[in-house]
Amino acid sequence: MRRMLTGLILLGTATVLLSAPPGTDRAAGPEPVPLNPPCGVQAFDKPNDAGQAITIQWQASPDEASGLVEGYEVFRAESPEAPESLWVRVGYVPYGFTSYEDQDVPRNGVDYYYLVRSKNQTQSAASGFSNPARSSEQWFNTMRINALVGSILFVIIVVYFISMAKRGQHLFVRRIAGLTAVEEAVGRATEMGRPILYVPGLSSITDVATIAALNILGQVAKKTAEYDTPLLVPNRDPVVFTVAQEIVKEAYSEIGRPDAYNHDSVFYLTDSQMGYASGVDGIMSREKPATNFFMGMFWAESLILAETGAATGAIQIAGTDAVHQLPFFITACDYTLIGEELYAASAYLSREPMLLGTLKGQDWSKAVIYLLLLLGVGLSFLSPGIREFILNLLTVG
Amino acid sequence: MSTNIWVWIAALLSLCIFSYLYKDNPAFRFAEHLFTGLSVGYLIVLYWNNYALPYIITPLADKRWITLIPMLIGMMYLFRFVPKLNHLILIPIAISLGFWNGMSIPLTIEADVLKQVQGTMINTSMLSNIWHPQNGLAVGLMVLVGVISTISYFYFSREHKGVLRFSSNIGIWFVMIGFGATFGYTVMARVSLLIARMQFLFTDWIHLIK
Amino acid sequence: MKRQIPLMLVLVLGILFFVQFFVPSQLSMEIYQMALQWSIVIGAFAIVLAIGSLVNHHTLKIKRRKEHFWNSYVTLFALFAMAFLGIFGRIESLSFMSAWFRKLFLYVQAPMDSAMFAILAFYMASAAYRAFRARSKEAMLLLISGFIIMLGVVPFGAYLWGRIPDIAEWIMMVPNMAAKRGILFGVGLGMTATSLKIILGIERNWLGGGGK
Repeated sequence: MRRMLTGLILLGTATVLLSAPPGTDRAAGPEPVPLNPPCGVQAFDKPNDAGQAITIQWQASPDEASGLVEGYEVFRAESPEAPESLWVRVGYVPYGFTSYEDQDVPRNGVDYYYLVRSKNQTQSAASGFSNPARSSEQWFNTMRINALVGSILFVIIVVYFISMAKRGQHLFVRRIAGLTAVEEAVGRATEMGRPILYVPGLSSITDVATIAALNILGQVAKKTAEYDTPLLVPNRDPVVFTVAQEIVKEAYSEIGRPDAYNHDSVFYLTDSQMGYASGVDGIMSREKPATNFFMGMFWAESLILAETGAATGAIQIAGTDAVHQLPFFITACDYTLIGEELYAASAYLSREPMLLGTLKGQDWSKAVIYLLLLLGVGLSFLSPGIREFILNLLTVG
Repeated sequence: MSTNIWVWIAALLSLCIFSYLYKDNPAFRFAEHLFTGLSVGYLIVLYWNNYALPYIITPLADKRWITLIPMLIGMMYLFRFVPKLNHLILIPIAISLGFWNGMSIPLTIEADVLKQVQGTMINTSMLSNIWHPQNGLAVGLMVLVGVISTISYFYFSREHKGVLRFSSNIGIWFVMIGFGATFGYTVMARVSLLIARMQFLFTDWIHLIK
Repeated sequence: MKRQIPLMLVLVLGILFFVQFFVPSQLSMEIYQMALQWSIVIGAFAIVLAIGSLVNHHTLKIKRRKEHFWNSYVTLFALFAMAFLGIFGRIESLSFMSAWFRKLFLYVQAPMDSAMFAILAFYMASAAYRAFRARSKEAMLLLISGFIIMLGVVPFGAYLWGRIPDIAEWIMMVPNMAAKRGILFGVGLGMTATSLKIILGIERNWLGGGGK
């Protein structure tokens, strides 16, 4: 079988070689047509970078259209009169490309000249020299000006509402079913004399969802301390584990029950995603928690956890911003905090005015997004120029 | 049947894990605890090879003493065991939080706000192709309605009554249809994983499938 | 004071790395790279606590003779064996250890990992059944759209009715896209607000005791 296949491949290769058009058989061509070089070579400092990079652009060789050019070699020298030995080859791009980024410029602030050679297997042709170009570092990335404006605007809105809250203005927050159920869920566990399981997601502290989950853990721990309900917090990330332990310990102290805090209630399980899922499954089957919280970032294990929990008959409250896992939590849990609700939970549960102020700030930012969307789409109908302008304005870099 | 003892071990442990589908049992408990132990042992080796050696031991051997600073900060985690200095554990935690949260603000504004606003905008190709099922103007406007109504579902500082109730209801329909789509798509992917595991059991282990 | 220093650190570093995002200069890049490396070194020490916790958890179970405590021996033995084989297997004369380490990974850990993943397919079925039982309008929408997508990606769907793959694609491109985008806006604002609260010291749960 293998022999037959090799034979077929050889036969195919021979056929292709024999049937190739004469122009492509370079070795056989008696008189190679001289290759045309690219032209219009321009060099300039790469914008918005740390320096030591120059962008080179050129117009393709006219021979590219006839398939004679295989690629372009880019050379750099400190002087246009430099002998050939001092022209350093800095890169190669295949045909079809008409620009190159020289990321290895030796020094900032020094003039460099570039030339580009069109090339195939037998020939090459050099362009004229580029203009002198010098690399430099920038102290502000202009491509990120929109993110800066957006961030500052958001900070201003939020800080304004925090200051309003500080002045004692009443801030209304609508009912969020999943969070209203927290009290009931803790109460149920207490009545049944069973523990509460809190999974703070499977991600690291670099994930803001994890931080949100830890904030909610603080609120839940205060309630379990109050009701003297056992709490189980298995962890996957070592840093998250240390923070979670700190949070639970302090929640118990704050309620005035440091003696009720069990050091082993927040524990490390494993780093393996499925190992963690199997471990938590085991806990759910053996410890039979009355309430399961799944808060933070989750991946495929979400369904394993939620389905096992549902099978044990526990009340389940989940919250995540992982859009791909939300459907599974929705089907298998009693309450699910969708996306932003996870981030609103800490403010909702603590009712701390300053935290509620940020929630109000978030809502006003939504109004700004509405405005941007409607204005942007509305204006887009006016002319192609405006459409282009709006899209450019929103381009991130 | 395979004669390789390791294939047998792999197959039996797979069955131990599957046995949980029936109920918690000694076989699953054994596999689960073995899994935890092995994976944490593996993690230790991973940390040793990928972090401790290249980022701590090698730099110190090369006399790059600056490594001592993060080392000292990291060691503060160990004050967990010293009651009087327990609060020092907050220092490495604060450093991690400051670093990641500072970066997160502009990054999130870029990825979750600006890019999404840009994606919802009308472009020229939409206008020239109004009824195209994927990229027409009608579709673009429908997405806009979906986005606006979904956002309104997340409006917290007002009771969902009147117009807000109407729009957030539409929003939740969009959300549920979207979740259904994700659900359906993932189901198909997971079924293929199950098929792969069954293939191992029936092909590599008991050679039922050749 | 105990809490003021961490709060100051979060504020200063938060502002520093917010600004760093907008500054592409050499110095800024070097600071970023250094911070990344430092966070790896700092985080590496947290694992000592994590492993300490796991060992402590299982030792306690054994000491207190809790139900199924013998399983804890399995965990502890597997943990130390794997770590020992992996670390000492690097020494040339002990290369047989690294061979064992690889075997344990390939034939013991990895199959259990795959088996857990495979279990997901069964749970999918029970989740779908659960969605079907929940008779709310929203759950029905989820189920119907999920069903159309499942049919849309297999040839059987097109066999039933030629338009099913088109409808499935439309669902993915329109309602699915709109919902995800709407959720992302909220998530983005929520994340930014959470980060801001941490940096400004408004959210102090991580300090414990409300930062008092």
